[in-house]
Amino acid sequence: MRLRTNLNSRASLPASAPAVYIALLLLLTAVLLLSPIVVVAQPPATPTETQVEAAFLFKFGSFVTWPNPAPNNTFAICVLGRDPFGPALDSIVKGESLDGVPFSVRHIGEPSEASACRIVFVSSSEQERVRPLLTELAKLPVLTVADMPHFNDRGGMVQFVLENGRVRFEVNLTSAEKSGLTLSSQLLKVASAVKRDGGRD
Amino acid sequence: MLRRVLSGHLRVCACLFTLVVAFVSPALAGDQGPSEDQQNNLKQLSLEQLSQIEVTTPSKEPVKAFDTPAAIFVITSEDIRRAGVTTIPEALRLAPGVEVARIDSNKWSIGIRGFGSRLARNVLVLIDGRTVYTTLLAGTYWEVQDTVLEDIDRIEVIRGPGGTIWGPNAVDGVINIITKPVKETQGLLASADTGSFEHGTATIRYGSANSKDLQYRFYGKGFSRGPEYHPDNRNFDDWFGGQAGGRVDWQRDPANNFTFQGDIYDDRDGESVVATTYAPPYQQVLDDYARLSGGNFLARWDREQGEGKSFELQAYYDRTNRREPNFADLRDTFDLDFTQHWRFFSNNNVTWGLGARFSHGHDLEVVSGLTFDPSERTDRLLTAFFQDEITLVPKKLSLTVGTKLLNTNFTAFAPEPSARVMWTPTRTTAVWAAATHAVRTPSDAERDFYLTGFVGIFPGGIPAFARFNANRNFQPEQMNGYELGFRQMLGKNIYFDIASFYTHYHDLFSEDILGGFSLETTPPPPHYLLPAEFGNGLLGDTKGIEFSPEWRPADNWRLRLSYSFLHMSIEKSPGSLDIGTIPGIIGSSPEHQVYAESQYDLTKSLQFDFDYRYVSDLPGQMPYSTVPNYYVRAYSTADARFGWQLNPNLDLSFVGRNLLQPHHPEFGSDPAADSFNVALVGIKRSAYVKLTWTSSR
Repeated sequence: MRLRTNLNSRASLPASAPAVYIALLLLLTAVLLLSPIVVVAQPPATPTETQVEAAFLFKFGSFVTWPNPAPNNTFAICVLGRDPFGPALDSIVKGESLDGVPFSVRHIGEPSEASACRIVFVSSSEQERVRPLLTELAKLPVLTVADMPHFNDRGGMVQFVLENGRVRFEVNLTSAEKSGLTLSSQLLKVASAVKRDGGRD
Repeated sequence: MLRRVLSGHLRVCACLFTLVVAFVSPALAGDQGPSEDQQNNLKQLSLEQLSQIEVTTPSKEPVKAFDTPAAIFVITSEDIRRAGVTTIPEALRLAPGVEVARIDSNKWSIGIRGFGSRLARNVLVLIDGRTVYTTLLAGTYWEVQDTVLEDIDRIEVIRGPGGTIWGPNAVDGVINIITKPVKETQGLLASADTGSFEHGTATIRYGSANSKDLQYRFYGKGFSRGPEYHPDNRNFDDWFGGQAGGRVDWQRDPANNFTFQGDIYDDRDGESVVATTYAPPYQQVLDDYARLSGGNFLARWDREQGEGKSFELQAYYDRTNRREPNFADLRDTFDLDFTQHWRFFSNNNVTWGLGARFSHGHDLEVVSGLTFDPSERTDRLLTAFFQDEITLVPKKLSLTVGTKLLNTNFTAFAPEPSARVMWTPTRTTAVWAAATHAVRTPSDAERDFYLTGFVGIFPGGIPAFARFNANRNFQPEQMNGYELGFRQMLGKNIYFDIASFYTHYHDLFSEDILGGFSLETTPPPPHYLLPAEFGNGLLGDTKGIEFSPEWRPADNWRLRLSYSFLHMSIEKSPGSLDIGTIPGIIGSSPEHQVYAESQYDLTKSLQFDFDYRYVSDLPGQMPYSTVPNYYVRAYSTADARFGWQLNPNLDLSFVGRNLLQPHHPEFGSDPAADSFNVALVGIKRSAYVKLTWTSSR
């Protein structure tokens, strides 16, 4: 025996116009059916964060002066740790050169392999050991770049930051100067922050 | 039975085949062009132009999650947007191994690797470091966990025990919801949606900065959602509410970062509950609104100490005020946590911490059949943990060991140890294994709770009841988990993740009948009573595997699949008095789940996304009905979203949810939900349109 008293039997709210609803469904269905046709060769919407970072890495070469000539006559952009760029970095430097020195992309696992590099991008996969890595890298004339938090505080030179959906970068000038690099004023002008006090420990 | 299973599988196969065809046909066009074009365009830009270009931030998580020796899955902000979901529980459907079943419009049953239930008592849920798990009835009230979905940075879902770091009740998993730093949410965001089931949601958020080092944002939102489909027309489950809040991020100097944040909310959630009283009418079904309100305030200090050391200190206050038609709880929680990271000898990474939480609950008696004694009480939780990640072979092999010690007003000191091994033989392959012990601490629901159900009128006109009495001897539920996982990146565009587990449980929650009917005179009037209590009378194990590959055929196209298999076997422990809850437990979590998803950028400004999901049947989920074989059947459904960027500020999207049938039930009644459905609630097909305006910052 079950007694039921609906103390508050509330009438349901009126349903939205079924015509609008059906129109939406039709639209969705139409798009679903059309998608394989529409697909062909449309450029993607906005670029991804890593694509823009890859473009920056390529650009930085023109705004930095190194104390030594390029090792092996190659402008090597090295990715230390797991590569976040996918094909983006390779395709951006393909066939490019700077002052007659061709670009290349290398993947390295340890700072000891960085002596042939111009730019070392430290992947977020190395976040846990970034401090000892930077101590080693500081001995070489390489531009260190990363997109992890506190990278510049720990002695990195260029740190990408996301501001309002745009990729900006901050510069630690002291770290760069310690390694003998000269950063052009143009680069510093675009930087969202320039720090001169160096790493903290 | 076999036929049903087979036909279910065939349906899955057929649908998958259709999807694969849909996926592959454009891929055959072999379209790598856009990527190169785009990169060529990018490199023509100047530094200034590059730093002005707006970017999407897809998941970097495969990179970060790759080295984690746990079954972790990260739902990103982009995933949430493109899935077209409007609530946090719906977003959790994206993660493998998580079972999300919508009970009705404002209630969900959520489980990780089994034990799905309304409150998910074995899953720990945090929002920006604040635990939203309640010790009142053990679990999470999902309907009041909300924020501006656009401001969520990611939801980290960790399947398997996470007790060592995260704390008690992280037995089957942890759900960690993290909002974006204020820096990333500057400017104005205004959005509005309306549709057949989503009657309307309006959101406004504004972020600004006082200086480079101090940014703030605040928001307000309001929503109204309709009822789901009720065959008996009791459309009790519509809901509406509002929420507001804000956050300040302050960088005092590079070494000291502070965050202050808070929220307040007030909701009305329609629900159907049973009210039992010892006096006539003994039992009523009340369809009414629950009044749910609350707020919280949190402060955190992150400090870099140098020499490999850093710490964070966090304090929060949280108030929840639940006034349901059959009971009420007013709860104030204070929490203080300290965590320090310390790396030394270049191969040790130590994390340790201390925490204290006091939760004061005041439970009002609304009906005599549901009471707490004592009605006012302070729950205590003290924790200390230590964990060391030891690098055995640099970049190849690491071992993480640690334990948590916890003490509550319900338990003596209980340890939660764990050991995890991570092996990365190459940069694209990772293998991990873990052995862990975790506990689910008792709650007020077992220790102080009196719940009465009406049985009937006995001869002589005397009513008879069954009552779960408080069990002061209820012990923590124990689990030992063993996990093995494998991750692989194939080339640059294919990633897959496999995790498998075997978990053994003992002292599991049971519903025990203690004796026969006897006459009870207080509370009056005299009635027969069958005494019962919640006990620890079950044990068993679960095993399963989750397979989740991801493929990016082109820069503008992302495909994901996940398949989760779960097998549960639960039995009575020797001497158990359990009334027979086992089929209900096992039958409330699906054995098979499939989720397939495509995110596609059609053009610069058009996006088309859809997903398909399959969930196998839940024979344990049947309403109190006289219809035989009336339970939640296996279902397949699909969602789709069409997004159109009208101009840089304005985004229009059309979303269809649950498209494959007019309505389908996903869950029946749930004891914890206290509901008394006579018919399964159908989750409706629905559509809505959403307009989002973002200021040009």
